Amino acid sequence: MNQLFQFLLRQRTFLLFLMLEIVNLWAIFSYNSYQHTWYFNTTNEWAASILSTTQEVKKYHQLRIVNAELAAENARLHTQVLQLRSQAQPSGKIPYFASAAMLNRYQAVACKVIDQTTQLAQNYVTIDKGLADGIKPGMAVISATGIVGKVMSSTQNLSLIVSVLHTSNTVSAKLKSSGELGYMKWSGYQAEVGELMDVSKYKKVTKGDTVVTSDYNAVFPPNVPIGIVAKVGKEKDDTFHDIKVMLLTKFSTLQYVYVIKNRMAYQQAKLEQNKPKSE
Amino acid sequence: MNSSVSLKWFLGAVVAMALQVLFLRDIALANVAFCFIYVWVIVKAPMRVATPLLLVFAFFAGWIIDVFYNTHGLHAFGTVMLALLRPTFFRILTPANGYDERSEISLSEMKWLWFFSYVGLMLITHHVILFLFEASDWALFGLSMLRALSSAMLGLIVFGLLEFFNRGQ
Repeated sequence: MNQLFQFLLRQRTFLLFLMLEIVNLWAIFSYNSYQHTWYFNTTNEWAASILSTTQEVKKYHQLRIVNAELAAENARLHTQVLQLRSQAQPSGKIPYFASAAMLNRYQAVACKVIDQTTQLAQNYVTIDKGLADGIKPGMAVISATGIVGKVMSSTQNLSLIVSVLHTSNTVSAKLKSSGELGYMKWSGYQAEVGELMDVSKYKKVTKGDTVVTSDYNAVFPPNVPIGIVAKVGKEKDDTFHDIKVMLLTKFSTLQYVYVIKNRMAYQQAKLEQNKPKSE
Repeated sequence: MNSSVSLKWFLGAVVAMALQVLFLRDIALANVAFCFIYVWVIVKAPMRVATPLLLVFAFFAGWIIDVFYNTHGLHAFGTVMLALLRPTFFRILTPANGYDERSEISLSEMKWLWFFSYVGLMLITHHVILFLFEASDWALFGLSMLRALSSAMLGLIVFGLLEFFNRGQ
């Protein structure tokens, strides 16, 4: 304490100087309008830049949450789009109205991809939702850009999806422009390319046509994009086109997918079970 | 401290302040050279006046000028800074045979080279601080420096003339 006092005593000139200058600075910045404005603007600018930097950092840390929120919103929008599509009037003259149950047939659930392969011949995707979220085997899975696959099995909180990058997973498909039916199959290599089979060579197929899921699909809702026709050739037996399709889903960067719940699936399966077997 | 020297200084300070606020307030040569004769208060303070005392004097002198110039705190900031730096300037300019403690700071008692370097140093320091702070804008740096240097030149001439006329007494 005594030493502190001694120190203050020794520095008294400088302390007095500091005190007087502080009084002056205070007077300068509070009573001179120019300096006052300058002080106000400069400090505001600093504060703003610091705050905006903090905001940037916070934003970065919130990206995860924002992504999840966006995915949930997309799921809601997907549900709506599917609803509106089934509401749409077909081009024919017959008046058609979908029943309320059919309108609300599909519901999308956003899920995060936690594991997947794309390099094998048979690829699977694991997602972070399961039975607890109402996800059951057989449901369709799509991404923001195209189809992904079909739920194969579910546990309480996780599900395994058979990717369309699986040689035995075929998807009923059609050409958007002509409505020509076929099915999409993966040839076992190249995660970007699939094949559209069973399209008669007498039908016109052009490069750049969009391939979508067909209306007769047991798994997928109709009109979900699959890919773009990239190459049209003829098969050896000359009966069908050999069509290569660029898949729209970017499997290598897949992060969020949407599982489509089909409320009519059970009814449809039960109904079609009773079909007489044709021998 | 010689009391007659102190009295002379105090009276001179009052006269310089009065001149400054009454006559020199609105005068600027070519809009760049201002005559700040009130710096006389610190420049001519007796050699051995205690720095804390000088700080207080400088503060009040600057503050009074500020009141008349409507620049609250600006001149006081400069004068207080100058009062603190004065001993340092003395040390820098120490003549070969040291200072005579009783001596007054004047052209008649000091060598003219010492006197003008001392006054020049004081004026430039004070004016640079004052004009830079007044502008508070680096875009006006050039203009501020021009004003500071031309005002210091004018100040040197005025101080020289004052000393010259005092010399005869």
